[in-house]
Amino acid sequence: MRHSFIDRYANLDSPLHVLDARTKLVGFTALIVTILSIRNGSPGQFFAFFFLVAILAGISQIPMHYVVGRAIALLPFVLLAGLAAPWKGSEGWSWFLALLLRAVLCLLILVLLTNTTRFVELQRGLRKLGCPRILVANLSFLYRYLFVFADEVMRMRQARDSRRVGRLGALAELRTLGSMLGTLMVRSFERADCMHQAMLSRGFQGEFPAAAPRKFSWRDLAFISVVALFIAATVHL
Amino acid sequence: MSLDALSGASILYAARRVERGLSGRMISIMGVLSAFIFVSQMLNFPIFGGTSGHLVGGALLGILLGPMAGLLTMATVIIAQALFLQDGGLVALGANVFNMGAISVFTGYAVYRLLGAPEKPGRRLPLAGFFAGWISVVLSAIACALELGISAAVPLSIGLPAMGGYHAVIGVVEGALTAGVLLFLARVRPDLLRRDFAPRFALADWIGGLVLVAIPLGILALAGSSKLPDPLEALLAGPRADHSGSLLSASRFTESEVLLYLALLVLCGAAYLAARTLWKRRGPS
Repeated sequence: MRHSFIDRYANLDSPLHVLDARTKLVGFTALIVTILSIRNGSPGQFFAFFFLVAILAGISQIPMHYVVGRAIALLPFVLLAGLAAPWKGSEGWSWFLALLLRAVLCLLILVLLTNTTRFVELQRGLRKLGCPRILVANLSFLYRYLFVFADEVMRMRQARDSRRVGRLGALAELRTLGSMLGTLMVRSFERADCMHQAMLSRGFQGEFPAAAPRKFSWRDLAFISVVALFIAATVHL
Repeated sequence: MSLDALSGASILYAARRVERGLSGRMISIMGVLSAFIFVSQMLNFPIFGGTSGHLVGGALLGILLGPMAGLLTMATVIIAQALFLQDGGLVALGANVFNMGAISVFTGYAVYRLLGAPEKPGRRLPLAGFFAGWISVVLSAIACALELGISAAVPLSIGLPAMGGYHAVIGVVEGALTAGVLLFLARVRPDLLRRDFAPRFALADWIGGLVLVAIPLGILALAGSSKLPDPLEALLAGPRADHSGSLLSASRFTESEVLLYLALLVLCGAAYLAARTLWKRRGPS
């Protein structure tokens, strides 16, 4: 089975893709923080951000339907939060609109970040930025084994569905799910032991070796300064 | 915002605690378990009325790995979900790590330990697992309702009973699954339940965990009783912009405004296309 729901376009080659992971992490995080901090932004500010994101998305060469599709997939969550709007009186709907716009903007930026940076580089960037070693190691394991486990879960689900007719009682259903999870867990522990052996036999010293990072180039400088100028300009808009 | 800082601090603290005396085996176990939790949240269990629940796993992780490693593993899962599935998003990352990570892992572990941390498949093991799972879900839901109430997104009088009541029901599934998995493990791989490989919760950790959970809850309770915004939040956010200044609060749009917004939207689209074609030609491929 193929899973490519995470970073399908991270292997493209565009001006955004060749930036250092640290540059992108810092720049995009700064953008997100700015967006989150404008609680009652003026329409001009929101449009400025949408404008910037549109340009970045264009530069990155990620197909538009993908970017927009991810944004739409988020909407139910935001709409759920919107249920509170009627209780907030006359301000409710503008509050909700601002929430929606902020959420969509942050989402778009995240899509851009994860789809312009290969995971290995993202991981190295996080590490270089001072993220705890163990957390980065965890993330990288999660990324690598996610697909293996997703396959396993799908197989188990298929096996379960092909062995039952109709719906079972709640208790039987729970018991089945419980043993499925238990089996999965035992398998994951066994896999962890195998991995540990493999790591040891390859000389694991507590740190994941990484190829030489990209150098901080004029592109990174340009990106950072554009983002900084943009933020400074929009805040005063 | 204050929760972001708190979650960050607790992750850093947990990372320090875990890295001390860390074995390669633990690294691989934590990594694989985070993938396990991520994936097992895909296994939905139909409850009633079309809704479905799934394992959250906080209590399970706390029981199997110990609270600190459990918190780190849960934090990894939540961060990965925010990054890749954009599920819940970065907007609430700090709060999510706090609610689903810290609170559920710590309470799950504490309840399990208070019930005697049984290891043998008997009557007590599923019971302890069930309560650990159930209480962890209910408490994180209550914390979430409190936070929503304080940030004035959802009034406390509506949010607390809704979240608490709903999750008291949902939590039964979590409790049952936690108990089921523990029972299964006790039968098949009893060695995994003996937590001699997991770092134990020392006294300092108990105090640290208590302070961690008590401080924000205390702030929340104080803020809730005095009808003031979260003081930390207010401190960090600085003076709030008043609504009257923002154009968004003008709920009636005139026709020209609508036209203006449409034009700006088209402008955004044009910018996208322009940037796309411009860099496509200049690209090395």
